[in-house]
Amino acid sequence: MLDARGWLLWALVALVAASSTRNPLYVVLLLLIAMIVGGVCAGDRDRRAIMSPLRFAVVAIPLAALFNGLTAHLGDTVLFHLPDWLPLVGGSVTLEALIFGAMNGLTLTTIFSGFTTFNRVTPLRDLVRLTPRAFHEAGVVLSIALTFIPQTTRSLNRIREAQAVRGHRVRGLRDWLPIVVPFLISGLERSMGLAEAMVSRGYGAISDQAQPPRTQRLLVLGLFLLLAGWLALLFLPTWKGIAVGVMILGAGIIVGVVWLAGRTVSHTAYRIHHWTARDTFAALGCGLTLAVILLPLPLMDRGTLYYSPYPRLTLPPFDLFIGLGLLGLVVPAVIGAAHRVDQT
Amino acid sequence: MIHFDHLTYTYPDAPYATLTELTLDIAEGEFVLVAGPSGAGKSTLLRCLNGLVPHFTGGILNGSISVAGLDPVIEGPRLLSRIAGFVFQDPEAQFVVDRVEDEVAFALENAGLPPADMRVRVEEVLHVLDLTPLRDRELETLSGGEKQRVAIAAALALRPRVLVLDEPTSQLDPQSAQEVLGALVRLNRDLGLTIILAEHRLERVLSHIDRLICLPGPDKPVLSGPPGPVLHQMDLTPPLIALGKELGWEPLPLTIERGQAFAKETVAALGFQASGQNPNPEPLKPETLLQVKDLSFDYDGTPALHDISLTVGAGELVAMMGRNGSGKTTLLRCIVGLLSPRQGEILLEGESLVGQETADICCDIGYLPQEPDALLFADTIADELAVTLRNHGLVDSPPIAPADLLARLGLDDLTTSYPRDLSVGQRQRVALGAVTITRPRLLLLDEPTRGMDYPAKRELVRLLREWQAEGTGVLLVTHDVELVAQAADWVVVLDQGEVVAAGPSATVLTASPLLVPQVARLFPGTGWLTVDDALTGLNFDPA
Repeated sequence: MLDARGWLLWALVALVAASSTRNPLYVVLLLLIAMIVGGVCAGDRDRRAIMSPLRFAVVAIPLAALFNGLTAHLGDTVLFHLPDWLPLVGGSVTLEALIFGAMNGLTLTTIFSGFTTFNRVTPLRDLVRLTPRAFHEAGVVLSIALTFIPQTTRSLNRIREAQAVRGHRVRGLRDWLPIVVPFLISGLERSMGLAEAMVSRGYGAISDQAQPPRTQRLLVLGLFLLLAGWLALLFLPTWKGIAVGVMILGAGIIVGVVWLAGRTVSHTAYRIHHWTARDTFAALGCGLTLAVILLPLPLMDRGTLYYSPYPRLTLPPFDLFIGLGLLGLVVPAVIGAAHRVDQT
Repeated sequence: MIHFDHLTYTYPDAPYATLTELTLDIAEGEFVLVAGPSGAGKSTLLRCLNGLVPHFTGGILNGSISVAGLDPVIEGPRLLSRIAGFVFQDPEAQFVVDRVEDEVAFALENAGLPPADMRVRVEEVLHVLDLTPLRDRELETLSGGEKQRVAIAAALALRPRVLVLDEPTSQLDPQSAQEVLGALVRLNRDLGLTIILAEHRLERVLSHIDRLICLPGPDKPVLSGPPGPVLHQMDLTPPLIALGKELGWEPLPLTIERGQAFAKETVAALGFQASGQNPNPEPLKPETLLQVKDLSFDYDGTPALHDISLTVGAGELVAMMGRNGSGKTTLLRCIVGLLSPRQGEILLEGESLVGQETADICCDIGYLPQEPDALLFADTIADELAVTLRNHGLVDSPPIAPADLLARLGLDDLTTSYPRDLSVGQRQRVALGAVTITRPRLLLLDEPTRGMDYPAKRELVRLLREWQAEGTGVLLVTHDVELVAQAADWVVVLDQGEVVAAGPSATVLTASPLLVPQVARLFPGTGWLTVDDALTGLNFDPA
């Protein structure tokens, strides 16, 4: 539905927004947005995943509240007192400390929900395609490594079961030997098999093409300038401006070399995603959210972002304009719903 | 098109050459079957065609190979990928991405084809292999036959002139194997693609091929030519050919239709009249050893087994058949306690197994899983047996002396060998030894003949008969119809987790068109299932 670059931007903005506020009202709003976007845009891929942030919250929020409540003895509303001789936890347990801990758990849940949604709506292969052409092979290796994980889990289970049918029981470290040895050997055999299959389909032909010496020399120059600039920044504080300039030049050369190297790679992509009006619309929504979080815009009370329950618990404030700005992140869900209506 | 000239190849550290002075030619458009016992060099020969040997394996190669004018040894597998597409035994082991269309496009992306050309090629191969409706499917969700067709499509995307396949149907049920072979025949007949295929189950392929290459093993000359004459010189052949040779049918029939014509002539010539007496009478059900009652099992809420009931008696061999994914392996795993059934009862000699630990159950039940390699980890074969005895606390009082069991398994000369260095058949027997050293009363075998050649299968049947004679019950899961015809007393067919047929092997095997053994097709209505049945029934005297 959206381009992978659009989703990447959405995930980054959601992460920045969730980390930039301590106001539970805004955090809850962000959590709901992430869940709605996941629910609408992930379609029927995995309905059970919609509830996974809530399952995470059930564990994370009480744990964080308990930990902070027992270790941070701040706040006016004392619930009970633990003996002072108890290390770390000894002292007053306050309502404010529990609430602060719960807020941390809520923020963690929101970040988790953002990543879960991103993971559900963006196929891995689309992300791999974002790697620069010069790093294409590394991207393929990464995607294979990730698809290998479920296969490896299955293989481990198969071996564990095969040993169990010989009466094997895992009681200590040594008992893992009959599982680890076939697991490693079968993993190596599987890797060799896959390597054969990939080479038989022309994989790796690109790596046979050596980069011209000029490109290699430029890469060395770029790395040298970057290192020299960094050392100058560390040891010659008076040359700060020049050092930063040298570092920028070095980084620029490296980026240029990667671009040049990518041009010599003959690899092409079967699926090409084009940036569409929908992606622009979603990006504008992200921009709006980022603006209300980071910029001192008029009519908005940015102080409401930094709520604290200490010293005495009060109701968190809520700024309507900031709330509306956060709704910029819900644009992908609106696009997704409209897309579904179009399809039906 | 393909020319081998005095090719000799030796793997690194191998004591002798796998291929010796191999000289042969394959013309463009031929459908070629490479046959021979395990370890004779079939896979090596195929891998020479695209340069995987020696580029991946090392070793010493003398002589020369030419594929469409290119030397794979010089050019290497990457360049040869445009000339010779390669399909491996296990489709899952060669998949790189997770969706059908992307998998097919992988080779095209590597070749740097423009996107527009890629689209055309992907459409083309999806259409040729009837995969268009599956183009968006995740590979994990496909059946075995569909996966293998995707692997073929992926190999064909670069429009190679030769398609090389290493035992592509060995893991498939008869129906899926038929799908794959049907696709290959279409590619050969309609597009003129040269196809070179290695296969153990000759009965599946013989009717389609133009040339048969037999690699009989060390120190024996390679046979190559039209299938009829080569089959005459081969020792072990499928039942149709074996019977044809015994009865002097000339030319040897390669299809059941041709065989049926000969069968009619033979019956007329011998003056045979069907007596109505069945050579495979319904076996008496022996004393029940294993009883499965109304068993149901779900995978995360998805039903996998539904109300399964079956029995295995002492000394009885029950074969369980059915398509890939029909629930056969799931049932075996429930029996040995690796899975917990939702409902139902599993009794071994009247004692319930439900809730018992796998390690305890497997002292009385020997379970051989599909992949014997998962069992093997010790340094020697003798150690493998010792490990099982140690696990069960039987080192001091083994129910069978390990040396006796190894002798019975034909492994007594190899006790100090490293198990993973052995052939498929030998590894299977080591694994069998590792699960039977406790002298179990019941054996559960999951696809034990996968990748086995005819001699290894014959050896397995002999072993099973010996164990049966001692009262051991066997529940055998297999797709191998001819093996079932030879060995089974009773057949159970599963489909989508339910028992759809159960009865004496002669009744069940002749009732379903996909399960009928070759001899039963040649002589319908006689109840004969094997070559021996037919020769006995015909009162055939070779003199």
